[in-house]
Amino acid sequence: MNHKFKMLTAMLSIIVPVVSEAQERIILLNEGNWQADNGKITYFEDGKIVSNQWFRDVNGYKLGDTPNDIIAVNDNLIAIAINWSNIVQFITPDGKAVAATEDVPNNRKLASDGDNVYISSYGHECGIDGKYVEFTKGYVAKIDATTFKVTAACEVGYEPEGIAYYDGHLFVANTGGYAFQEDHEYETTVSIIDASTMTVTRTVDTGQINLYGKMSQSGKYLCINSPGDYYDVQAATIIFDCEAALGGKPDDECFTKLEYAATYNCVTDNGDFYAIGSRYSYYTGQYEFNYIVIDPAAAMEYGDAGVRDDFPGTVLSDIKKMSMPYGIYVNPYTGYIYATDAASFAEGGTLYQWSPEGKLLGKFGVYINPAHFLALKPDGYTGGVDDVVIDQPDTDSPIYNLQGIRITNPAPGQIYIQNGRKFKY
Amino acid sequence: MGTPSLRLPAIIGVALYIALQAHKVYADSIPESADSVIHFTKEVEVSAKRRPIATVQELSGPELQSLSTTSIADALKYFAGVQIKDYGGLGGLKTINVRSLGAQHVGVYIDGIRITNAQNGTVDLGKYSLSTLESVSLYNANKLDACQSASEYASGATVYMRTRRPDSDSLSLTGRIGSFHTYMGRVNAQFSRKGWCGFIDGEYLNSKGDYPFRYKSEYEDTVGKRKNSDIEYGRVEAALFKNGFSSHLYYYQSERGCPGGIVRRLSDKYTNVGREWDTDLFAQASYQQSFGEKFTIKANSKYAYEYLRYCTDYPENQNTARVNNHYYQHDAYLALSGAYFPTEWLSINIGYDARMSWLDADLKVFHPVRRVDQKAVAAGQINYRSIRLAASILYQHYKDHTRLKVGAADPLSRFTPAVSVGYTFKDLTLKAWYKSIFRAPTLNDLYYTQVGNRNLKPEYTRQFDIGAEYNYSSPGWMASVQADVYVNHIDDRIVCLPLKGTYTWSMMNYGETYCRGLNMTASGRYMTGPWNFSLLTSLTWQRDLNRTDPDNETTYNKPICYSPTLSFGITAIAAWRNYSLTVSELHVGERMWSYADPEDVLTPYNNVDIKLSASWRRLLASLEVNDLFDVQYEHIPRYPMPGRNFRLTLSFTI
Repeated sequence: MNHKFKMLTAMLSIIVPVVSEAQERIILLNEGNWQADNGKITYFEDGKIVSNQWFRDVNGYKLGDTPNDIIAVNDNLIAIAINWSNIVQFITPDGKAVAATEDVPNNRKLASDGDNVYISSYGHECGIDGKYVEFTKGYVAKIDATTFKVTAACEVGYEPEGIAYYDGHLFVANTGGYAFQEDHEYETTVSIIDASTMTVTRTVDTGQINLYGKMSQSGKYLCINSPGDYYDVQAATIIFDCEAALGGKPDDECFTKLEYAATYNCVTDNGDFYAIGSRYSYYTGQYEFNYIVIDPAAAMEYGDAGVRDDFPGTVLSDIKKMSMPYGIYVNPYTGYIYATDAASFAEGGTLYQWSPEGKLLGKFGVYINPAHFLALKPDGYTGGVDDVVIDQPDTDSPIYNLQGIRITNPAPGQIYIQNGRKFKY
Repeated sequence: MGTPSLRLPAIIGVALYIALQAHKVYADSIPESADSVIHFTKEVEVSAKRRPIATVQELSGPELQSLSTTSIADALKYFAGVQIKDYGGLGGLKTINVRSLGAQHVGVYIDGIRITNAQNGTVDLGKYSLSTLESVSLYNANKLDACQSASEYASGATVYMRTRRPDSDSLSLTGRIGSFHTYMGRVNAQFSRKGWCGFIDGEYLNSKGDYPFRYKSEYEDTVGKRKNSDIEYGRVEAALFKNGFSSHLYYYQSERGCPGGIVRRLSDKYTNVGREWDTDLFAQASYQQSFGEKFTIKANSKYAYEYLRYCTDYPENQNTARVNNHYYQHDAYLALSGAYFPTEWLSINIGYDARMSWLDADLKVFHPVRRVDQKAVAAGQINYRSIRLAASILYQHYKDHTRLKVGAADPLSRFTPAVSVGYTFKDLTLKAWYKSIFRAPTLNDLYYTQVGNRNLKPEYTRQFDIGAEYNYSSPGWMASVQADVYVNHIDDRIVCLPLKGTYTWSMMNYGETYCRGLNMTASGRYMTGPWNFSLLTSLTWQRDLNRTDPDNETTYNKPICYSPTLSFGITAIAAWRNYSLTVSELHVGERMWSYADPEDVLTPYNNVDIKLSASWRRLLASLEVNDLFDVQYEHIPRYPMPGRNFRLTLSFTI
């Protein structure tokens, strides 16, 4: 396998491999059909689909209905939010089920600091220490990653969606997405929560409604999608500066609004965001597609002018050919690029894989509505840190956060990974 | 992502209607039985003389009452070419799909007047009882009576329910007790004098619907009881007839739970809490008059009101938006038609229908919509010696009015033809027909908040059919065999799809279907002394192919989801004096429900129902066992159907 070899070569410059096993390891959540109980996990390893029903294979039972997000909590633990099943499922990187809780119904998206899992919910009740606590709006719950119990929860706006952890704080995008049916308006805010006390310390108003869908993080920057309301308010992208918000800057200096949709977005290995999506209006029935690369620092400074379209290689032309793009992802460890095509929701989707240079390496049949990715660390990457002999400690090598996302602007006091080792910056 | 969980709850009524179909079958056919007894006009005299060329299946009289049925959906599943979609339980939505055209291409008529629903275009068959009916018939393409209204030409297939005209005075009381905490009471008063006849029929039902179910596979063994599957309804009907005059008043009110799919949950704490309330009211009248041998005219009129409330606004609801929506529909209908018989062998039919529908709902971003739907038809039939020829041309015009900001859809005007030929030789009739018809986008399709698309085109069907029918009768014996092969094309299917690159869904014209099929029915009856035997069988073989996207290898030319290749039904009825025993068996073959995984199939099933009835003087008793072998099956994945259940009914007549 050519790409495997190339990647190995790349690894060799950083570490001396102990045993080189799988390098490219991707977990992909297939949402399945709503109320059909057919959410499935695809496990992909070095150019092969190992299984399109990995969870069933490993555990002998089904995952549940509409898995909605997946993150690595730490080296040994992965959390999955299974929305319609009201389950937060914990598994090991081998896919083995460890624990599950239904204390956070209608769960949406996940974040972690390595010891706790933070999860947003559209629901109005949360089981904390066996007692149910009610909230008028939505909330964020904190789950201890050793006991798998909710230890605290905190109310935010209506229907909170994307969530990110940065410098001891949680940044939560509120949607108010039920506004088209319920008796409240769309939300326009990002709630900032002190993760240790689980209290809202600040609410930043972006002026853009319905901050719904995928949220990506690149160091201190967040990429937040807003689909608008499909009628009077057009879709937009909010680039959010967490550092500015924590530093007490006025609301309008904490974010910039781009006139593009970021329906599917991800962070790249150099800290940019890829964003694809379309702006749709029920009035006209017209779509306006965009496929963009956002350098968050440039976007904060220059707005729409900080946006490019230089996707590597054939990535852009391949995605444009898809019938229903449904997810995009860059492996933070290797730079390999992935995207999914959901086709029609009655057939299996397709996983695309490109090299970091944008060469299409393969298309792989997966299951219905493949949407959410997680890359596992390549074997030998951090596995048994003590056994790894560092050839030449290289202080210029890339720094990753605990979610495996490459960080260009590390924050003091945070734990990062460099050269396969955890360290405090 | 997670689109389904955020957006779908709002459009469940729309999206699920469209995406899903399920299946069952069986049949009978005695085309014109009892027609000549009941109707008195020119139309029937003509039809009594001629051989039918319409493709029809009918259940009537004692056979209809011998079946183990609760609603007309249960009777229709015994017809060839019919797929019933059923979400399970007494309260679950039940719709009929004929030859894979889709539920919205099937017109359902009571005494010649269509039951409409401008909002979603489908009729929930669970709302109509068999107890007041004389017969239920299914016509593929047109019924081909001499004097029909224009709207009777306007659907791909038509179900006719004919109300029974009483011939005596009586009062009867009926009580029923059934499994899953089901209780029903009914009172019927009827009269017949001086040419007038009529009835009042009232029914009340309460069912908890808490039936057990089990999912057992390599990856699960889920056992449970259905929750939030209860229904309570009251129905009052009255009808009055005299000769060519018929009228019908109908009132139905219900409250029911809307259970969700059975999915993985860690406990029973979270179940679907959605509930639905319906109020349906209609009043209709029809008058038909003949003038000598040459002319017949008919007038139909109807007013209908429908109210629907759907509520998920409960503290227990953690999973969807908490909605409490109310929908109101009014519908006024008037039709005039006339038939002219210039000679013995020719008849000409013209008709004009006008319908006005209003829809209002307290949805956000919604305004009332008014639709004016006009139809005109010109049709001719030649009945010359052994040859019959029928041709019709239908014109339809739809215009909507609304202050919705998206604006009303452009007016829709179309002509559609149909033609049939038949040749009769002794007891054998050969026939062939072609029909092109469309369904107009419903008001939900066009205007529903965050789903509707005002630019939709009509969904077209073209049907070709070649069939043969053989009838035999001799003293004591009656037999009939009917076989049809058919080809259907459906273009511009109206479906709900996610919009590319967004998180929202919309109605779209997307998809073509090509179906080939064979429908066969065979029935035999034998009478000797006090004994009476009937055997009714039907068989459907069908291949529906997805012809949507030639570039898509996964789906192109592959079977349509939810459509079985083979299904059949057998019903045997034995009656001796006042006792009767009915055993029916229904087989539905395997159906795939997604193209993604060979494991995504609904397993074939066999349903065996038994009904034993006996009457002594004024008392009638029946015991039914449905799904005798407790087969676990489903029409829609994760919506289990009830397994074995019992019903005991007692009826007392004065």
